[in-house]
Amino acid sequence: MTAVTETHAPVLTTEARRARRVERLLPWALMSPALVISIIFFGIPMLLMLRMSFNEHAPQRLYVPGFTARHYVQLLTEERFVNAVWTTMKLSLVASLATLIIGYAFAMLVWLKPARWRLAFIGLALCPLLISEISIIFGWWMFFPKNGLLSYALTSAGILSDKISLMYTEFAAFVGLVYVTLPFCFFILLSILDGIDKRLIEASGDLGAKPLTTFREVLLPLTWTGILVAFAQSFIWAMGTYATPSALGPDTLWTMGYLIQEQMLGKSNWPLASAFSMILVVAVAVVMMFTRSLNARRTSFHA
Amino acid sequence: MPELAVERSGSRGGGFQPAFLKAVSIAFTIFVVGYILIPIVVTLIMSFNDANMIRFPINTWSLKWYRDFLGSAQFTGALLNSLIVAIGTTIIATTSGVLAAWAFERYPIPFKNGLYLIIMLPLFMPGVVLGLGVAIAFGGINIFGFQLYGSRLLLMIAHSLWAMPLVFMLMEATFRTIDHRIVEASYDLGGKPLQTFFEIVVPSVSTGIISSALFAFVISLNEFVMALFLTDRDTQTLPVLMWLSLRSAGTPRLAVSAVILACAVFACLTVIMVWYIRQLRKTAR
Repeated sequence: MTAVTETHAPVLTTEARRARRVERLLPWALMSPALVISIIFFGIPMLLMLRMSFNEHAPQRLYVPGFTARHYVQLLTEERFVNAVWTTMKLSLVASLATLIIGYAFAMLVWLKPARWRLAFIGLALCPLLISEISIIFGWWMFFPKNGLLSYALTSAGILSDKISLMYTEFAAFVGLVYVTLPFCFFILLSILDGIDKRLIEASGDLGAKPLTTFREVLLPLTWTGILVAFAQSFIWAMGTYATPSALGPDTLWTMGYLIQEQMLGKSNWPLASAFSMILVVAVAVVMMFTRSLNARRTSFHA
Repeated sequence: MPELAVERSGSRGGGFQPAFLKAVSIAFTIFVVGYILIPIVVTLIMSFNDANMIRFPINTWSLKWYRDFLGSAQFTGALLNSLIVAIGTTIIATTSGVLAAWAFERYPIPFKNGLYLIIMLPLFMPGVVLGLGVAIAFGGINIFGFQLYGSRLLLMIAHSLWAMPLVFMLMEATFRTIDHRIVEASYDLGGKPLQTFFEIVVPSVSTGIISSALFAFVISLNEFVMALFLTDRDTQTLPVLMWLSLRSAGTPRLAVSAVILACAVFACLTVIMVWYIRQLRKTAR
């Protein structure tokens, strides 16, 4: 690029000047479709949503223009809403911790296994990512209830005498949520592990360290930032996923996403739904900034 | 078993695993494989069920529900909507994402980090939030008698909020791998920027473009939270219809829908694989 401007710079004919102007405007022209999408269809809606969250709500109307912080106060004081925030945080935290443990073990397994297994395992890990969330929900929806596969398998194997149903329990919601977040966590951790020299593990073993010691003293410190990033990513994802917990969990399992949808489609209370969304956005932004600062620190370590 | 363990301990990589760890790793492998496969296998089995209810064990098998799906105007219509929206999303997201990534790779841009953040940010937002935002902003907008809200076009753009940053991210990484001397050579030989882009750059990153386009397609095909907020009865996509039907009553027809959706996705993956292998052969030759 610099070569182009340099060769043409000495002879500044009008044509060359035009070419340079084109050169300067070209990147903006190239970026314009992407910027239109993210500014007009993301930036402006976000600002309107922020504004909307301060509007008044009246029955039979979506909203009434006004300026009130009532909805935020309502979210922070009304028991049902406060509970929803806590439920979301708690469920996301537990689910992303479980995701992290399973994801780490899975990534380590793939990393240590001979290369011929690798492709099969990666294909397997891609499955939850490539299947629609609704299909995943439906799959578990057929597995957990009284007439589902789980109950049938357990009774016909003679482990249980009566049919059981795990459907509409917090456990089902948790299983579904972990399933949805697992691939993100797995791929982040696998990419981190791939950057580590496997001979370090062997060296540690040769020096007499037990596997657990090797894990604690060698692997864990090397993957620590990766663990935090993967955890944060799973947490964001678990927080935003509302369909899985609300379809598999009990009716009383109100997450923030569920309440947004309920206020928006069911109760037509747009200001309250917006206020809820803003809280979710802020939570996601906080976790993202945390992740970014970790990434920055990691790169500065290596530099 | 002991011999096996000895043999393993001699091999590379497994050097630190005693027999106990090996047992744990086998148990864990079974757990993970089972966990990931359960909903898939259950759905696949159920789609060949003959009964009207979702119930295990399955006594008779048939293709009844596949015929039922194809005979239902509502479901085939929803599938068609899904495909139209996914193709539209692919076109919008791939074009905008590839061009922006090329601009980022090739030209000095002021406020690069800020612009990067603006483009990437929607990818990290929950679908619920994006759907609500777009619904609020474009809820009542009517352009020359064309109702934007509830239209497929608005849904395509909404899906692009996830698909475009993904394409951008993948293509930015891909563009970084191309040899810039080739691009310079094209300029030196008198190639115009656009000509260079289409004749030199695009062919050398075709695998990246195809893969990111198909990922955009898959994202749009599978997404249903935004679609739930932004479609009406006539434009609802298959996942939305599945979600609404699941709330009222689940029948094996939903299993068929899930299988068909998954087949569309795996067809895309096959295309990526075939393309990739063909490209590899080409470079090998």
